[in-house]
Amino acid sequence: MTQEQILSCALDVGEQMLLCGAEVGRVETAIRFICNAYGCVRTDVFTITSSIVVSVMDREGNHCTQTRRITGTGTDLTKLHRLNDLSREICAKKPEPSYIRSRLHQICEKEPYPLWLQALGSALIAFSFAVFFGGSLIDGLVAAPLGLGLRYLTWLLQRSGMNQIFSNVVASFLLAISALLLTRSGIGQDVNKIIIGNIMLLIPGIALTNSLRDMISGDIMTGMLRFFDAVLVAAAIAAGYILAAQVLGGAA
Amino acid sequence: MNPFVQILMGGLGTLGFNVLFHLRGRKLLLATLGGVISWAVFLALEPLVPGEAMRYFLATAVVTVYGEILARVKKTPTTTFLVPSVIPLIPGGALYHTMNYALNKQWSAFAHQAFYTLQLALALAVGIIAITTLTRLITAARMKRKLRSSRHVYHHSIH
Repeated sequence: MTQEQILSCALDVGEQMLLCGAEVGRVETAIRFICNAYGCVRTDVFTITSSIVVSVMDREGNHCTQTRRITGTGTDLTKLHRLNDLSREICAKKPEPSYIRSRLHQICEKEPYPLWLQALGSALIAFSFAVFFGGSLIDGLVAAPLGLGLRYLTWLLQRSGMNQIFSNVVASFLLAISALLLTRSGIGQDVNKIIIGNIMLLIPGIALTNSLRDMISGDIMTGMLRFFDAVLVAAAIAAGYILAAQVLGGAA
Repeated sequence: MNPFVQILMGGLGTLGFNVLFHLRGRKLLLATLGGVISWAVFLALEPLVPGEAMRYFLATAVVTVYGEILARVKKTPTTTFLVPSVIPLIPGGALYHTMNYALNKQWSAFAHQAFYTLQLALALAVGIIAITTLTRLITAARMKRKLRSSRHVYHHSIH
């Protein structure tokens, strides 16, 4: 296998790992282990959430560098598990690039949960957290269908290619409007709890925690990127919410 | 509020998130159990530990131990169990209140609440880091001992 092929395969695996929510430290380790398994004597990896840069050197002192631009993130923990297995397998057996490519293809082909099931999951989240934060059972039951709709809405917005900040404004605006209207018509009881349950779906709480985790463990660049991303998303959600309150006149 | 209801809701919410994270089978159940544990520990600590951030820190540390152990048993990245387990502790509520103060233009309350939210997120992050660092030290020490006894190189023991 040529140096270029080794690099390209290692980057393919690393790219997919990053896309399904692995920490940058893990991605860097996986890439380094794969390259070293194929006999690179030196591997330098630099990863942030939006890019991977790898340089390798073989025994003869030949250098090779490749970079990838990574766009989009998600969390798919089953896919991450499979990629992790694949990277272990590559290190142990050192297979041909065609094998690695076909296995990667297999992993990426595997269907994640269908949209309707994800929507039901969102409804469950909205219901549970509305009650968790002190809402009544009725608040939970009002929050649930909004959570269901929210999943379809974010899916639509994602497909339309609208940028993340603006689609968050739209999602939280529509969410707040529906919650306010449902409460004013007397169906919902406490609008705050209904919104809070649903906002758990939008709010970047995990991203905020992870960004601090990155910074403390030394990945300052990634941490800062994630931190400002989380703050911007939170501001976008607040903007949509404030807009809704203005449109319907006054606060909740 | 009835603590059992709240723990149940925290667990159900975690289950919902695990579906969004595409977890399957036994991992789905174990990750959901992590969410139940984290909130149960948080509530159980209430009479013992006065500081809320401290309780967040301790509850996170407990589920991180849970996640690290399970990850080794199941041979999967720690993230698989760690991210779901801390879901009930994620300061979503605090972030919402921060937003609400901004809406009502209560700027001093807003600043106060924003720092409080950051403090909770920091407690979570530090709780995770403390345990993962400790696990790494233990794993490294065990690897060294193994290496010395067998003179055999384990290529992917870090995975």
